[in-house]
Amino acid sequence: MMLSPLLLIPFLGALGLSLWPGNPGPDQVRRGALVVLGLQLAWSLWVLAGFDPALSGMQMGESLDWVQSLGLSYRLGVDGLSMPLLLVNAGLTFVSAFASGSVSQKPKLYFALLLLISGAVNGAFLAQNLLLFFLFYELELIPLWLLISVWGGANRAYAATKFLIFTAVSGMLILGAFLGLALVTGQVDFSLTPVLSQQLGMGTQLILMGALLIGFGIKIPLFPFHTWLPDAHTEASTPVSVLLAGVLLKLGTYGLLRFCLGLFPDAWARMGPYLAIWAAISVLYGSLAAIAQRDMKRMVAYSSVGHMGYVLLAAAAATPVSLLGAVFQMVTHGLISALLFLLVGVVYRTTGTRDLEVLRGLLNPQRGLPLTGSLMIMGVMASAGLPGMAGFISEFLVFRGSLEAYPLPTLLSMVGSGLTAVYFLLLVNRAFFGRLAIQSALPATTPTGQRIAPIDVQLPSVPLLEQLPSLVLTALIVLVGLVPGGLAQLGEATTTAMAQMPELVAAIASGSLIS
Amino acid sequence: MTPALPLPLQFAWLIPLYGFSGVVLSLPWAAGWIKRNGPRPAAYLNLLATLLAFVHGSVAMREVFLTGPQALSFEWLQVADLHLAISLDLSPTNLIALELVTSLSLLGQFFGLGYLDKELSLARFYALVGFFEGAMSGVVISGSLFISYFLLEMLTLSTYLLVGFWYAQPLVVTAARDAFLTKRVGDVLLLMAVVALSAWAGGMDFNHLYEWAASGSLSPLAATLLGLGLIAGPTGKCAQFPMHLWLDEAMEGPNPASILRNSVVVTCGALVLLKVMPILQQSPVATSVLLTIGSISALGGSLVSIAQVDMKRAFSYTTTSYMGLVFIAIALQLPSLALLLLFAHAVAKALLMMSVGSVIATTNCQDITELGGLGGRMPATTGAYLVAGAGLTGLLPLGCFWCFGLATDVLAQQAPLFAAVFLITNALMAWNLTRVYRQVFLGAPQPKTKRAPEVNWQMALPMVALSVVVVLTPALLTKLNPVPGINSFSPAVAAAVIGSSAAGGLVACLLPVHKSYARSLLKPVRFLQDLLAFDFYTDRVYRLTIVNLVSGMARLTNWVDQVVVNGFVNRLGRFSLVSADGLKLSVSGQTQTYVLTALIAVVLLLASLNLVFG
Amino acid sequence: MTTPVLMPTIEQLADRLLQGQTLLDQSDDHLLEVVGVLESYGVVLNAYSINLIFQAERQFLNPFPVFRFFDGDLNLGKWWRHVTHDRINFEYAEYCQKAMLWHATGGMDAYFDSEAFKANCAAIVRAKGRDPLLAVLNPLFPNFIPELIRSAATTHALGQFWRVMSDLFLDLAAAERDGRVRTIADVVEFIKQGLVAAAANPITYAVTIGAEQFWVLPPEAGLSFLADVAVPYVEAVFLRGMPFLGTVSFNAQAQAISHDQSQFAYGALYADPLPTMGAGIPPSLLMQDMYRHLPQALHDWYRQRTRGEGDVHVKICMSFQKSMFCVTNAAINGTMPHPLDSGDAQQQAANRAYAQSWATRLAAGRTDCLAAT
Repeated sequence: MMLSPLLLIPFLGALGLSLWPGNPGPDQVRRGALVVLGLQLAWSLWVLAGFDPALSGMQMGESLDWVQSLGLSYRLGVDGLSMPLLLVNAGLTFVSAFASGSVSQKPKLYFALLLLISGAVNGAFLAQNLLLFFLFYELELIPLWLLISVWGGANRAYAATKFLIFTAVSGMLILGAFLGLALVTGQVDFSLTPVLSQQLGMGTQLILMGALLIGFGIKIPLFPFHTWLPDAHTEASTPVSVLLAGVLLKLGTYGLLRFCLGLFPDAWARMGPYLAIWAAISVLYGSLAAIAQRDMKRMVAYSSVGHMGYVLLAAAAATPVSLLGAVFQMVTHGLISALLFLLVGVVYRTTGTRDLEVLRGLLNPQRGLPLTGSLMIMGVMASAGLPGMAGFISEFLVFRGSLEAYPLPTLLSMVGSGLTAVYFLLLVNRAFFGRLAIQSALPATTPTGQRIAPIDVQLPSVPLLEQLPSLVLTALIVLVGLVPGGLAQLGEATTTAMAQMPELVAAIASGSLIS
Repeated sequence: MTPALPLPLQFAWLIPLYGFSGVVLSLPWAAGWIKRNGPRPAAYLNLLATLLAFVHGSVAMREVFLTGPQALSFEWLQVADLHLAISLDLSPTNLIALELVTSLSLLGQFFGLGYLDKELSLARFYALVGFFEGAMSGVVISGSLFISYFLLEMLTLSTYLLVGFWYAQPLVVTAARDAFLTKRVGDVLLLMAVVALSAWAGGMDFNHLYEWAASGSLSPLAATLLGLGLIAGPTGKCAQFPMHLWLDEAMEGPNPASILRNSVVVTCGALVLLKVMPILQQSPVATSVLLTIGSISALGGSLVSIAQVDMKRAFSYTTTSYMGLVFIAIALQLPSLALLLLFAHAVAKALLMMSVGSVIATTNCQDITELGGLGGRMPATTGAYLVAGAGLTGLLPLGCFWCFGLATDVLAQQAPLFAAVFLITNALMAWNLTRVYRQVFLGAPQPKTKRAPEVNWQMALPMVALSVVVVLTPALLTKLNPVPGINSFSPAVAAAVIGSSAAGGLVACLLPVHKSYARSLLKPVRFLQDLLAFDFYTDRVYRLTIVNLVSGMARLTNWVDQVVVNGFVNRLGRFSLVSADGLKLSVSGQTQTYVLTALIAVVLLLASLNLVFG
Repeated sequence: MTTPVLMPTIEQLADRLLQGQTLLDQSDDHLLEVVGVLESYGVVLNAYSINLIFQAERQFLNPFPVFRFFDGDLNLGKWWRHVTHDRINFEYAEYCQKAMLWHATGGMDAYFDSEAFKANCAAIVRAKGRDPLLAVLNPLFPNFIPELIRSAATTHALGQFWRVMSDLFLDLAAAERDGRVRTIADVVEFIKQGLVAAAANPITYAVTIGAEQFWVLPPEAGLSFLADVAVPYVEAVFLRGMPFLGTVSFNAQAQAISHDQSQFAYGALYADPLPTMGAGIPPSLLMQDMYRHLPQALHDWYRQRTRGEGDVHVKICMSFQKSMFCVTNAAINGTMPHPLDSGDAQQQAANRAYAQSWATRLAAGRTDCLAAT
């Protein structure tokens, strides 16, 4: 019983928070949630301590029959692909709750929903049964939708509905594919096994995998299914954006690796070249769109579209190095985008705007946001793949692993990496360099020629405690960038096994291993 | 690691870390944790760390001269077929370059104590210089292309931060951006080459790469593309045409950083090129490109520098031109000549930039047309200028005289055209130096130079010290031990070198000195003046081409995103079950809608499951 | 959008000067700020003055004045305080001295070009001829030593000027505590009286080489406090100033800095307080020095406002700008050609012209700090 606590802690915590008697203040509830999330984080680290990175398969398996007639069974397990993501989920949900200090409306519901999401994400990463995965995948939607539509910005209704429709379609496609798989194989048991698809013709495989691909492509999101993301981010509050970018998008890439590649290795290999091109387009599209943004948050959101494209590229190449790169990129993007959203959140909270046409000189040491600015420079440099930080090693592994398989898409993706530097440098130079300003400059004189005083900018100060999550994330980003060995060790066995799966499956199918 | 290695070599990996440690040591002041006391301790700690790096480097150098070159290697990341190691190549050449870096960094930082004495953000500056120095020390002793790339990118970052040091100054904003992006273009191309090499050759150690390259397993096209990628990084770092723009703009940064940038940073870029040269040899195209870039940079940079009125820029462009000469030497397989030139240039150019810095500190002015008559009043500055000028041209037997002599001698037979490039660059440099000298140091004082006492001792001392080093350069060059000796050229060649310098100086003496931003009345002359003064309008060319292209594509993508993709989604939404009104439902209304949708979904799920397995 | 704050016009400023009103509006906060910040300024100026005079007299022509900030007191504790930068930033005093020397205005600068001054220099060079370094350099660089002597003379003169100002500002604080000064008008009047009292003080400077004394600025030169040091100081530091590397590009092609120094407007009355403590803003040194010597009442007042301790230097700079307007106000009042209540039309016209010329320069400054909030 190592893994079930990862579901029980958040779910029971959510229950506990919603049943909290009386009318506790938001801060009290937040502290309660942090205790639960701290417990979850500690348990995740405990799981990590018991995790054997040398094994490529599922570990710590738990199994319990549930609704057998539907093929739904409660089966959990963890491997090198899901282990890092469990840690990211535990860490970032904690950060998200920590950053939710300004929530005053319905705190019990808010934090219960956060816990629910975290538990559901754990469940999805741990599920060893397709239907179970789907249940958790769907379970996380409702709370997130509520978090955007209740605690969001001015245009939240539109964004939340858009999110809902897109992800509902995503869910239907995934469910359809799972059911289809069961239907055509005639097996009620939805357990994960790649050999299943071997019995199918390539056409069937491609249809089922295509449905999964689009389903997860919406979640990741990949061009052209991404339009829900910038809107969702713009309207979501900072902690929700952290969760969305840092954790929830990873469900999509996880699904891509686990189910598209894992269940249909043949079809995946067949589609590889097209997927690589799709990845390159997504990378360039996200980067170019980001350049045109003037809302800092939208810029970071589009950069996510670009950066998740690397994962598709790596998955398409499916070499040991590229798949490890994909794991790295998922973790790295989680950390970096969480950091960037936190910092943009600080800027927005203190200045009341995220408009890059208006913000200037925030590095000002006394009246500006010097620490936020310094961390922002670190964050954007990490995102742009500067060595010494996590982004570089992830990108290097992805590119190095994919170059030989798909040279042109890889090179184009590297151009996208160069473009990341362009838009993020614009962000830093516009908002943080120059004379401090948080609104458009006034004219120097009135029409009658009388001088107008320069604006004296007064921003509220940011307590160091509020910056603590950003500092920790920055430290982690540098740590992974300088000492990538640990994370590599965690994922390597699994990703290597996954990369060898096509041959393995082919061997099993041809019967050469049986004899 | 071999246990037999002497300790200073075993711990050679510490040398770059001394510089990097400066960042951590400066943090309490840079981050403002120490509020009541000023930031100077950060500067002192960085100076100490640099001194330590210098001393450690000297000891290591002595050991290597005794025991021969050594290599260190530490595993960094090993996954599947990818092995990334931190390899250090402790060869005499690399260690001499290391000593160059640390000693100039030490002098530059000392100079900074004086130049930035009224600067309260001193801690941040020294932290950045420490980072800068750490990255450079690493690059020069790196034994692996991966580590070189890793550190070159760190140099790019620290250049950005150093140029952006005065972040509130309007031109700094664009200068820092351009410095980063230009270098980044080179770096991304270099990364492509690095990734390709890693995939094709396996290991990233230079020695392994040489063996692999020599095995000739590469198609000509691949070799060419690889070569171009490898060239791109150093081209950006060494500010070569067409990626030279950033160096001009980087002059917005503080002078002590400019000293390092014009001397050792470009040297680091050139050393990386030198190290990848055996791989480049596989591609004749890459070699030709290198020669072309080098020649254009050498001549173009010299010409542009002559038209500059800004004192810093007048000499930053000559850095481009001298690195052009180094590129030519590397392309023509003359590594020892390239090294001599790099060394001679680095010390003399650092001294020249110090002299420029002290003129700026005294006069608050960089415009040479507003300066004059400093010569009689500033001995250290004037002396430094003259010694540096002598070190950079071939008139007196200081560093560059011997380099140009050797180059002319070798090239006269091998490639006379390039010998001419060397001599012309030398002549143009002499012209430029003489022109600026007449304008700034001779003549009558102008309003901004009416009162010009010599600079404070923290600036004067490193200038004097480095002047001595520049005077001793020939002796140091012989230590670099080029095979035939640095004086192995004929008197005729020596006469050509001296003659070209004298000719350049003479032309500058004969032309009138402009005392305000004067433009010729003759239209063609004015056109030429402007063309050179504005650096062939390179920034405008960039804006019209690549900047417009990228921003146009960005706007197009954004339009597609808003109008086509998002528009399609919105239209679809309007026609689907969820009507346009549905999108605007209130929160409570939405909840009901969702519960309904969810219910329907669950019913459909159960129904379909029953259908399938019923 | 904040509503635009309008700054006073030239006419409004000139009228205030002529009607005997203070430039800075009367308010309790203003009084606290101005008196408090001038008190800390007085403490800092005391240290600056002592050090400048020490440098000019005891570090004269020292090629490596490594311990020039020690005031001749080389004990271990002081050494430690210097290493840890737990000290006054004397570099700012040198910065002001350089600004004065470089802008080259006023009577002292005119004297620097006189034959008498050259003769003084020649005598000093002869006396210093035993120094081997100077013996080599002087023939090659004949203007080297005289230029250093000019610099030393400016250093000494500024030290003498700040001696008076330091005492005056500390007296002002005492007077405010005694209740003798209750309004901004009192402050301006107090400073005016102080300036008028010191106006004719002679400025002299002599150095001792060996046992012999040499005049650099002899009494015969007739240099006086107000006309030859205070006025050039105001011109160089309050008005013109020097461009800050942190806000203006020195790039010659960008031509962001005027080639005519008299057009400069980088001085204390023009500078933007917002980037204080940012990179490349030299007055931050002064703000840091004053921060270390703030009177308790003013420090508490700062703590209660905006970011409290977080942006205290910006607030000090803003108060400092206000107080410098008061000092300028006092200087203008003290140098007004005729009494303000004069009935003579010609005298009135002369006063108006004088006030107008000052108002023209001041109106381009940061006069938005003058209004009471």
